[in-house]
This record gives sequence, structure tokens and C-alpha cells, in this order.
Amino acid sequence: MTSTPLPRARPNGWYGMLILVATESAIFGTLLATYAYLRFRDPSWPPPGVAPPSVTAPLVLALVPVAASVPMGIASRTARLRRAGPLVAPIVLATLVQIAYLAFQVHLFSDDLARFSPRDSAYGSIYFTVLAVHHAHVAAGILLDCWLIARVRTGLTEYRRTAVMAIALYWYFVSLAGLAVTATILSPAW
Amino acid sequence: MAAACAPAVLASGCGPNQSITSPVTDPAREIDTLWWAMFAVGMVVFLAVMALLVLAFVRRRRASDPAEADRISYAVILGGGMFAPVVLLAVLFAFVIRVMPAVSAPEPGSTRLTVEVIGHQWYWEVRYPGTGAVTANEIHIPVGTPVRIVARTADVIHSFWVPRLNRKIDMIPGRSNSIELDVPRPGTYRGQCSEFCGLGHAEMAFEVIVQPRNAFRAWLDHEAQPAQTPSGGAALTGEQEFQSASCADCHTIRGTPAHGRVGPDLTHLGGRRTLAALTIPNTAGDLMQWIRNPQGWKPGSRMPGFASLPAAARQALVAYLESLR
Amino acid sequence: MAVESAAPAAAQRIDRLDRIWAGRPGLTGWLTTTDHKRIGLLYLWTSLAFFAAGGAEALVMRTQLAEPRQHVVGPATYDQIMTMHGVTMIFLFVIPLSIGAFGNYLVPLMIGARDMAFPRMNALSYWLFLGSGLLMYTSLLLGMAPDAGWFDYVPLASRRFSPGLGIDFYALGLILNGISSTAAAANFLVTIAKLRAPGMSLNRMPLFCFAILATSFSLVFALPALTTDLVFLELDRKLGFRFFDVAHGGDPLLWQHLFWIFGHPEVYIIVLPAFGIATSIIPTFTRRTMTAFPLVAVAELLVAFIGFGVWVHHMFATGLPAVTMVFFAAASLIIVIPSGIQIFAWCMTMVTGRPEYKTPLLFIVGFIVFFVFGGLSGITLAAVPFDQQVTDTYYVVAHFHYVIWGAAVFPLLGGLYYWFPKVTGRMYHERIGQTTFWLVFAGTNLTFFPMHISGLLGMPRRVWTYPGGLGWNVENLVSTIGAFLLTAGLVALFANLIVSAYRGAPAGADPFRGGTLEWATTSPPPRYNFAVIPYVTSAYPCWDVDDRADDRRRLEAGELVLEENHETPATTPVDGRLDEILHMPSESPWPFALGVVATLGTALVLSDHFLIAAAGVALAAAVLTLWHAKEPAPA
Ligand code: HEA
Ligand code: HEA
Ligand code: HEC
Ligand code: CUA
Ligand SMILES: [Cu+2]
Repeated sequence: MTSTPLPRARPNGWYGMLILVATESAIFGTLLATYAYLRFRDPSWPPPGVAPPSVTAPLVLALVPVAASVPMGIASRTARLRRAGPLVAPIVLATLVQIAYLAFQVHLFSDDLARFSPRDSAYGSIYFTVLAVHHAHVAAGILLDCWLIARVRTGLTEYRRTAVMAIALYWYFVSLAGLAVTATILSPAW
Repeated sequence: MAAACAPAVLASGCGPNQSITSPVTDPAREIDTLWWAMFAVGMVVFLAVMALLVLAFVRRRRASDPAEADRISYAVILGGGMFAPVVLLAVLFAFVIRVMPAVSAPEPGSTRLTVEVIGHQWYWEVRYPGTGAVTANEIHIPVGTPVRIVARTADVIHSFWVPRLNRKIDMIPGRSNSIELDVPRPGTYRGQCSEFCGLGHAEMAFEVIVQPRNAFRAWLDHEAQPAQTPSGGAALTGEQEFQSASCADCHTIRGTPAHGRVGPDLTHLGGRRTLAALTIPNTAGDLMQWIRNPQGWKPGSRMPGFASLPAAARQALVAYLESLR
Repeated sequence: MAVESAAPAAAQRIDRLDRIWAGRPGLTGWLTTTDHKRIGLLYLWTSLAFFAAGGAEALVMRTQLAEPRQHVVGPATYDQIMTMHGVTMIFLFVIPLSIGAFGNYLVPLMIGARDMAFPRMNALSYWLFLGSGLLMYTSLLLGMAPDAGWFDYVPLASRRFSPGLGIDFYALGLILNGISSTAAAANFLVTIAKLRAPGMSLNRMPLFCFAILATSFSLVFALPALTTDLVFLELDRKLGFRFFDVAHGGDPLLWQHLFWIFGHPEVYIIVLPAFGIATSIIPTFTRRTMTAFPLVAVAELLVAFIGFGVWVHHMFATGLPAVTMVFFAAASLIIVIPSGIQIFAWCMTMVTGRPEYKTPLLFIVGFIVFFVFGGLSGITLAAVPFDQQVTDTYYVVAHFHYVIWGAAVFPLLGGLYYWFPKVTGRMYHERIGQTTFWLVFAGTNLTFFPMHISGLLGMPRRVWTYPGGLGWNVENLVSTIGAFLLTAGLVALFANLIVSAYRGAPAGADPFRGGTLEWATTSPPPRYNFAVIPYVTSAYPCWDVDDRADDRRRLEAGELVLEENHETPATTPVDGRLDEILHMPSESPWPFALGVVATLGTALVLSDHFLIAAAGVALAAAVLTLWHAKEPAPA
């Protein structure tokens, strides 16, 4: 019977995030299933007058959050093993990349909005909704990062360790969801 | 009376005109058989479990040999909870698959007659493609003839249902579903909307009137004719009144300039049995009341009241509508 | 068994624990509480208040339907009341009562923990639930309640056919409610996985906790379908999107699919905790362990799992392809097996035990009767052609009131009696208790049995009135009489409990000689639940007399008393080995604050004040930052 925690045990906060991720996956699953369902029902997809999405930019962009997960993973490992190691720097790096990513995505999003509207067709509705939901997740993640940086600047505690691990998990999920979202919305272009 | 009759009715299949257990056609009868079979087996299962509860109540003693008790328990649990259901449900499943074709949608063109029924908040538009006939809330069909009913909606989801003749089928925007009616006996069978569709859902009923073939032919020929211009008197004033008092914006009377599509086609209103989807009988007095204040009869109805119209004008309208046989 | 008369060393430790865990006094205490028991009680009172509201709505409906062509209320009022009745009973009564109240109060006690894994998030769940309920009931007070039925089919619920705010109250209120339930489910999952007392491996976990576990899994995966559906609806309604608009490539059936992908798992979410209650009560009153324990545990999980594959049985009349329907009919039949296993396990436990028919057990017997009956009518509905006849008739209304009333509400009422002594420290009145059971049992049957017949005679549901002459009159009159009898029974039942809470005989720690850990502590339990964290060596730890005697020794010796700080032990998820001591947060005002901000924000979206609502989001972020500003001291 000891009150020093095992070095590798996952804290409850991490389990909590795991469940959040599970329920969020179900949300993305529902969105993408809706996309498939509507597409299956509508022979003209995208509808006449709407060009299929361009492929290159979104495809490259989708890899960015995946890449940014690497520094988050490094930070998370440091925290999990309670070792001295790279912690603040990788998180800052990841955050900067994420911010650039989001800025670019928002730019693409408004370009799309100028081309066609979610009010014109079910295609537009689901297209913009899926993207907006994903961007909102990125934005929320960036806020979490900022909060995290402010916290771990002054060193690691048990509480902050949990936070690093949980937020890293969140980012893995967001970047995977990004891949699924991109693959789905680009599908009409293939 | 109803008190004494209700259980009897359920068993004998005589009375009420919207009962699932008084089938008239083959599909309805097959479903009825399915129901009674499930009911009988279900009762046996129910009583078996009740017997266990009674046994527990009577025994009230701890098993002397816990291991033995557990063995018996497992046997009952697996037998009753797994073995019996697997067997009974497999039989039920086979039964279901056998009945399904009888109630499935008929292929287009597989019947001699097709009738289009279009749900509106809150009445039924009835069209006979290939003829000009359009009516409302009454579906006339010939006896002993398969008829394909195409069910569509003009607004929200409704559901077409005549329990004694067949299963129900939803009317869904963007889809057209269908169902077959093949009725061996002349008669009048009640149907009712069975998907919640707003304020008038409770008063969205209709009748299927099954006629001998000749009578049906005659009816259809007549129904396809445009309305006759009244020869004079109140009815003639009524016709003018109808065109000027905005009735024509919503109603069609074929053969006149009235071409509204909001309300029912009134070309042969005088020949209908009821008004406003079986809400009131079609008599001069009721018609008068209806025009004055439809909401009073059928709250929420999309037809505005015409209490502001002079009584004489309303009387003329009634005379005119009555003349549209 | 309980730690009542303690030796000096023990008394000192208990004293210290009392001081460490003391909450704030008075109203602030309740607003800032993170005590799972207080939160459970808040859930209890709130959900019962909504039960009374939903019941009052039911009585208005029954009065209106007592005879043909009455005009007690018109269709506009009836439709609102009918919708609010369904929404209230499902989202504001059964689920909050079973999961929020029973789950919260009992799970930590049953697993020997001192609180939930995330005590503040637990409080947040409650405040969001309260906010969603108040929001939806505001609509009724304003006379613009949702009126498209509890499953709210489009296009009836679209802006074109329901231009008022009613549907927006429904959609936004349920989104808020869903967030609350998701948070609660996540909390239970982590609590059950990580906070079990040392020694409580999965196979020793009480079946009630298995039920809550299964329910929480279902919630986590089912609610997103509803939430997404509601978001689509609001986007269509508020911003003119086209998800459900056929003219622009949308599809009204999309709504139905997503609703029922949530809706069917939902019905098992409703019954599973009740199953758990049954499996708690039966062993206690038959004086034996649950027979086929592992089979029942697996069955509970299976019901939740298969429940995800049957949703189309709510859409058999929409004209889907026959193969689709056959597939879903088969799945609906398969789910009978885990249900059957449980039914027979309960019965056989009673047959091979020595049942003592006290009030809680009576309710469980009633539950079995109703569940079997309602389950069998469910099977008839899974038979496609028959469902195509009776769907949307009173036969379906009869089916689900039998399963919900019988299979969920009966165990909940039995549970209220069963844990009443634990919560209040006093006994209820046994003879009155039994009388109320018979009243409620008779009332429920009288109310809902005739609905099978009126359904078979062709009476559609959701009609505000009906013509005479179709053979439905007697059935409806009997239903109405039954509803009033039922109400009388319920009033007597609650009167019994309320009076007993003040006048009942002191109950002691363990009046029924229950087997699970909640009976090991005092009634009512102290804020920290257990003075010493119990060790568990079987599935019925309270029947292990030696272990519980050892608790007293360990208390004196200070083994696993954790009297330094707000602490509870964490164990490994499967075999329940101790792995760390957790520091638990204490009272906090922020969950309440966030609940208020979220509710007001939702109200702003509802009334189209999108910009101010965006400011609300910023405010919520600020609250969250404050919430997390103070780090707990390191363990
Ligand atoms: C507590 C909630 C609950 C539960 C447990 C159930 C259980 C079941 N339900 Fe029910 N159901 C609802 C709540 C519930 N339902 C609600 C709320 C609706 C309507 C929603 C609305 O439209 O508003 C509904 C509607 C509904 C429909 C759609 C009806 C329609 O709208 O047309 C169907 C169709 O298949 C169905 C089927 C079933 C089945 C097969 C079960 C099975 O799980 C039952 C299994 C149990 C048993 C069978 C009894 C015990 C078993 C034995 C004793 C073993 C021996 C048995 C045999 C040998 C057969 N239900
Ligand atoms: C948990 C679920 C639940 C419960 C318990 C009930 C309970 C009751 N329901 Fe239910 N009902 C639904 C869920 C439920 N219902 C749903 C989902 C629908 C479908 C809605 C729709 O179609 O959209 C429905 C629809 C429905 C209809 C059909 C409406 C229609 O189609 O037009 C009817 C008609 O009679 C009805 C009647 C009743 C009655 C008489 C009760 C009675 O049992 C109620 C008795 C209860 C009371 C009278 C309250 C007493 C409470 C107290 C005394 C509390 C005291 C508290 C304190 C002291 C703190 N209900
Ligand atoms: C705004 C549209 C509107 C106007 C104007 C209107 N009606 Fe109607 N009318 C309806 C609708 C809709 C119904 C169907 C009502 C129902 O059953 O719910 C109806 C039903 C009727 C019926 C019953 C038809 C049947 O088959 O059951 C009659 C008769 C009728 N209207 C006559 C009139 C007359 C006469 C006038 C003018 C004085 C008039 N209507 C003006 C919309 C209108
Ligand atoms: Cu049309 Cu209900
Ligand atoms: Cu279901």
C-alpha cells in the first residue's frame, strides 16, 4: 500500500478524455455517415453549378495536424514518465503550427463560402457543417494549448501531467478526424 | 352497448369499422392470423413466467443444496432465456417472411387501376390518373379488382391506413410509396391518418367505398365530368359568389375558372357523404356552418371562416355546392 | 457492521475525517456541493418534480380522452402537452432519476469510493440538466411549447410547418440535456473503472454497477446521433440549411434514422439501471446471491450493445426495402435472448431463495410481470407486417408504457423504498408501502392494458379527440379511471415516504441485511462514505462478516483511512488492485456558474441573439479558466 503513484499509470483525467474522444468520434461518425447518406440519395453530387472541391490544398493541409501531433506526443511522453525532457517547447511548436493551419483553413472556408452556400443544397449544408465542426475542434484545441503552455511554463505537477497527456490525446483524435473529414469531402473529386 | 361488445368484437371480428381484427382482404387476414398466433404463444410464455413467480411465492424456502439449486437455475435460465426464444423466434421469423410479400408494394403496372392519394394538412386528395376525376376523402374502387394506391404528400408526413383492408403506408415528401387494395366485398371501410401531422391529425379520416364494377365505372365516368353550370336560382348566384368570395383561390371546380389547389376539389361535392375528411355529414345545414366557421368543426383547418359573408350569400353558396352532384 | 461505536483511536480518526470533508453550510453548500450524495439528492428532487409535471400533463390528456368528442383542451394545447409529456418523462424524469439520482448516490457507495471520479463535472451535469429542464418548461409557461411529438418528425418540425419557437426550445433544450448526460456517463465510466475499492475485481462488482456501466457506454455512443440530428434541425430552422429539405437534395428520413439510432439505445438506457436495481433488491430479500451472476452481467452489456442495431423497427411503415426491414426485425428478435436470460435469472433466484415479500421486492415482482408482458408486445411489434398495422396506434402506446412503467418506473419506485432507510436513516411504513404497491400496480394495468385493445381496434395515437362509434369509448374511459387510480397510488406512495422521512423508526446502518457495500456504512452515510476504505473479497462484501469486522480493526490501526486530505484510492480497471491515492477536489462555485452561463447562452441562441451568445461562449471559457485556476495540492 503506497501513495506514490505508479510511474506509467494513466491518470483519471486521461481516461476522461478518452471517453470524450469516444463520444466525439461518434459525432464525426454521424456527420460523415450523413454525408454518405445524402450523397447516396442524390444523383448529382455536388449539385449542378457547384464545382467539385479542389484536392491539393486540403490534402496537404490535412497532414499538418498529424505532423503537429508528433511534438505533442513528445511532450506527453515526457509528462507520462515524469522525466526531465522537452515539454514546453514542443507544445509551443505544435500550437504555432496549429494556428497557422487553422488560419489557412478559415481562409479556404471563406473562399468556399463565396463560391456556394450551405443554403443552396443539402450538399452545401453538410459540406460546410462537417468542415466547421472540425475547425471548431481545432480552435478549441488551440485554446487548450494556450492554457496548457501558461501552466507548464512553471514546471510539471501531477495535475499538469494529467493535462498534458489528456490534451495530447485530444490532438491525436482531432488530427485523425481531420483525415477522415478530408477524405470524405474530397471524395466527389475522385 | 359498446361496453358489452368490446371484448366480443375483438374476438369475433364483427363490428367496428377500423379494427385490425375484422379483416376483409387477404393481406389484412394474414396479419390478423399472425397476430392471433403471436398472442396465443405469447400468452403461453407469459403464463410460464408467471408460474415461476407463483412457484417462488409458494415455496419460500432456501434450497437445501446450493450447488443443486444453481444447476437447476442454469438449466431453466438457458432453456427459457435462450433455447425457447431461439426456437420460437425462428418460427416467428419464418412466419413474418411468409406474410411480408402479401403486404408488400405492388409493382407499377401490375394492376388494372391506379389511384393516387395525396395527403394534405388535413384532408386526402384522390386522383384517378388517365381520367380527369379528382375527389377528396372518398376513395371509390371496384370490388374484386386489385388496385394500386400510390401514396404521396403535399406537405408533411401522413400515413395512409385502412386497417380492415391492408397495412398502413407512410406518405413522405420526395417519395412515392404504394400499397395494394383488393377487396372481395362491397362496402364502406374507414381509414385514418396515422402519422402525427399537426393540429388536424385527429380529423383526417377517409372512406374507401368498394362498389360493384358497373357502379364504379358509372361513378368514375361521372366524376371525370366537369361541373354543370346551374340553370338558375340561388345556385347560380352561388356560383358567382364562389368566384368572387375568394373560394376560387383555394378550390378547384372543374368547368369553371376556379382552379385553387389549397383545398379539396369541389367539382362533385354534392355527391360526397361527408365534409372535411369525415368530420361532419354533408348536409345543407352542416355545409352552412362549415363555411361560416370551419375552425369550430375542425380546429386548425387551413380554411378561413366566412362569417363576414352575408347570410344570403352563404345560403347561395350552399345551394350551389349542393347542386354539384 | 457499521462503524458506530468506535474505540478512541477510531473516534479520533472519524473526527478528523469529519473536519476534512465538511461542506459549506446552508444554501451555498448546495450550490457549490461536489458530494455525489447531495448531487444525487438534487437529481432526485428535480426529477420527481418533473415526474409530477409530466404526470399532470398525462392527466390532462386522459381527461380530454375520457369520452369521445370532448373539448377539455383543444388540439393546440393537447399537442403541446402530449409532446411535453413524452419529453419530460423520458429526458427529465426517468433518465435523471435512474442515472442521476440512483447512479450518483449509489455507485460510489457500492464500490467503496468516497466520491465520483470527477466531482465537479458531476455537479456541472446536474446544473446543465436543471437548466435544460427549466428552459423547456419556460416554453410551456409562455404557451409556445414544442408540439410535434417527442420524436419531432420533419417536415412537420421544420420552420415552414412549425414557425414558432416551440421546436427550438425542444432542440436546444435537448442539446443541453445531452451534454449533461454525456458528462454524467463519462464520469460513471471512469468512476467504475478506476475507483473501486481494493479487491473489487470486475467479477466482484455489483450488478447495479454493471448496469450503470452498460448504460453509460450506450449514452456515450447514442447521444451524438441525437445531438447531431438536433444541430441539423436548428441549422435548417435558424439558418436555412437544407438537410431535411427534399426540394434541395435533403431527406426527411435522415431525421428519422438519426433520431432512432439514438432513440432505440435510449430505451435500453432507460431500463438498464432499473435492471440493476432489480438485481440489487432480489438477493437481499431472497437471502441468497444472484444466480448466474456472470451470465446476467454479460446479458446486461449485450442488451446495451445489440440495442444499437435495431432502430429501423421504428420505421417499418416508411416504405424501406424489404431486406432492410427483415434484417432489423431479426436483430430486434435477437435482443430477446439477453432480456430473457435476465428474466429467468431473477425468477430462479427467487424460486431457489426464501423470498420475503417486503415492499421493495413487491415492486420487483410487479416489474417482472410488466416487463414480460411489455417485452412480448415488443416482439409482436418486431414482426414487420403486424407492426405495419399497429404502428402509430395505441397498441404502441400500450407497449412502451408497459415496458417503461413496468420495467423502469416500478424498479425505481421499489428502489426508492429500498434505499430510503439508507438515505434518510429512517424506515418507511411497511404496510402502507405494500398498499401503495397494489394501488400503483392496479392503476398501471387499468390505465395501460385497455390501450392494447383500442390500438387493435384502430385508434391512432396522438389524436386530441376521437369519434364515438368505433368501439374505443370504453377502453378510453377505463384508461382514464386507471390513470386517476394510479395517481392516487403515487400520491400515497410519496406521502408515505415524506412522512416517514420525519416520523419513521430509526433504521440503523443495515435494516435489510443487504449484501453490497452501501450497507456497510452509517445511514445516512457521512460525507466521506466510509471511515475506512473497505477491502473486498466477494461479490457480496457486506455478507462477509469477517471482512467487515476487520474494517473496524483497520480503522483503529489507520490502515487505508486516508485522514490527511480529501482522498480516495484508485485501483486498476480489471482486477481492482490498489494503484494510487487520488486527491479529490472539494466544494466549488464554478460548476453552478458554468451551468447558468450555458443555459443563458442557449436561451440567447434560441431567441436569435447570436452575437451575445458568442460573448456567452467567451464567458464560459473564462469560467472554465477560473474553475481550473486552483490546482489541487499534490497527493
Ligand atoms: C423501457 C423501454 C423499452 C424496452 C425495454 C423495449 C423493449 C422492446 N421493444 Fe420497444 N419501445 C419503447 C420502449 C421499450 N421497448 C418505446 C418508448 C417505444 C416507442 C417510441 C415511440 O414511438 O414513441 C418502443 C417501440 C417499439 C417498436 C416500434 C413500434 C412502432 O412504433 O411501430 C418495436 C418494434 O419492433 C419495439 C420492439 C421492442 C422489442 C422487441 C423489445 C425487447 O427488448 C423486449 C424483450 C423482452 C422480452 C421478450 C420479455 C422477456 C423475455 C422472456 C420471458 C423470454 C422468453 C421469450 C420468448 C420465448 C419469446 N418497441
Ligand atoms: C417514463 C415515461 C413515461 C411515463 C412514466 C408515462 C406515464 C403516463 N403516461 Fe405517457 N408517454 C410517454 C412516456 C411516459 N408516460 C411517452 C414517451 C409518450 C409519447 C409521446 C408522444 O407521442 O410524443 C407518452 C404518451 C402518452 C399517451 C398518448 C398520447 C397520445 O398519443 O396522444 C398517453 C395517453 O393516455 C399517456 C398517458 C400516461 C399516463 C396516464 C401516465 C401516468 O402513469 C402518469 C402518472 C404519474 C403521475 C400522476 C405523477 C405523480 C407524481 C407525483 C405524485 C410526484 C410527487 C413528487 C414529489 C412529492 C416530489 N402517455
Ligand atoms: C385559404 C384557402 C381556402 C379558402 C379561401 C376557402 N377554402 Fe374551402 N377549404 C380549404 C381547405 C384547406 C379545406 C380542407 C379542410 C379540411 O378538411 O381540413 C377546405 C374545405 C372546404 C369544403 C369541404 C370539402 C370536402 O370535401 O370536405 C368546402 C365545402 C369548402 N371548403 C368550401 C369553401 C367555400 C364555399 C369557400 C368560400 C366561401 C371556401 N371554401 C374558401 C381552403 C379554403
Ligand atoms: Cu395526416 Cu396525421
Ligand atoms: Cu426500438
